Amino acid sequence: MKNYDDEVIISYFLKAGVLISVSFIVAGVIILFVKNGGDGFTLSQMSNYNYALAHGIDSKSVSLNKILSGLSAIDGLYFITVGLWVLIFTPITVVFIGWVSFLDDKNYLYVGMASIVLFNLFFAMLVVPRFLV
Amino acid sequence: MTLILIIVKFLTIVFGSIIAGFIGSLTGLGGGTVLVPVLTLFYGIPFIFAAGASLISTIATSAGSASAYTKKKIANIKIGIGLEIATTTGAIVGSLTLVFIDKHALIWIVYVIFGLVLLFSLIPTIKKIGKEVPPEMKPDWSTKLFQLTGSYYDERLRKTIKYHGVRWWLGEIVMFFAGFVSGLLGIGSGALKVLGMDWAMNLPMKVTTTSSNFMIGITAATGSSIYWYEGYINLFIAAATAIGVLIGAFFGAKVLVRISNENIRWIFFAILSFLGFDMVFKGLHMINFVITFSLMIQFFISVIISIGLIGILFYNSRRKEWRDKDEKL
Repeated sequence: MKNYDDEVIISYFLKAGVLISVSFIVAGVIILFVKNGGDGFTLSQMSNYNYALAHGIDSKSVSLNKILSGLSAIDGLYFITVGLWVLIFTPITVVFIGWVSFLDDKNYLYVGMASIVLFNLFFAMLVVPRFLV
Repeated sequence: MTLILIIVKFLTIVFGSIIAGFIGSLTGLGGGTVLVPVLTLFYGIPFIFAAGASLISTIATSAGSASAYTKKKIANIKIGIGLEIATTTGAIVGSLTLVFIDKHALIWIVYVIFGLVLLFSLIPTIKKIGKEVPPEMKPDWSTKLFQLTGSYYDERLRKTIKYHGVRWWLGEIVMFFAGFVSGLLGIGSGALKVLGMDWAMNLPMKVTTTSSNFMIGITAATGSSIYWYEGYINLFIAAATAIGVLIGAFFGAKVLVRISNENIRWIFFAILSFLGFDMVFKGLHMINFVITFSLMIQFFISVIISIGLIGILFYNSRRKEWRDKDEKL
């Protein structure tokens, strides 16, 4: 028998994820405006959509390897990046909590089904990008 | 000086997203369905940036509202995760299709599809498909195998409602399409998810809407990560929309509880159908097919058609009520 309530935990995680993500995004926007840009691009380049589209100023130009150095350099663009990735990971943690709770219930059919969902999520994140150049 | 202009630009996107989130949550279609047309038609943002910003913002609203519903134990997490197999697969196929379409300069197709999906998802929303508690259906093999049972406490009826789902396989098929549409258009496609659980699996409306809300986030996370690596997410726009849609959805949910007059919703249906027609026109205009007139005229034609259409639908639904009243007398 479980001594925890997975629905309450899920609800807590969802709320925490949104709050963390939004605070990073808001902080990033403020820094972006104060510093007039980030990651080598000026604000006017970023906010000109067609220029940004033609010159590849988008999520592709932000290197995820540079997140730590970007954060320590107080680069607004990387704060927004972290905020958006926290947002992407929020629902994934929910599936993971579900997976653990199914395992606790010895409900192996659903452990398998949650595993497929997690596989799909990581497939989209890690495998698909390698085929897209 | 230019900095002030950029701040204003940012704030107008936030403002547009608040409105999109507000209308999306009032009509039950979700923020993205309103946000993408608003960004592309009024702000001149390229479709892929609009879709990218919208899809990632959808996660925020889904997570925000789902946290309230799961706590009340109305959303069925088990059924939701089971159906996510199909939606995440659909989302991968859908977003790869968008990448293909974008690389072959066929983006006009997406505008047309978007408009049509928007218009068609209005029909079940207006009709409110099933009733609150669906008609009893006999459990089938999938009910037992996939444990499609549950119960929730209905505050209005003041009793615990036990339910069971049927036709799991049909639900999965509809969910695949819901995921596909979500990845292709950058929206949550909540209307299609509701269709899958309500029409295909015969689940109660409350369970359907709350579970679909929670599922939207997982589907959108799948599509968003592909969008991210493809460079479809412009951080400047996405930051503005994520904040805006979240605020809008929050107020929409507050107002929704208080709205007693159903007629107000018809105004929003009219706005949505206007956006739908205008998206179709914009797509056809891109290849100069049939629609060759200017933007302004497209605008007016969309306004006139949508007012006419919603007028007819409104009259139809009222007439039914009047007839019921007459019969009572």
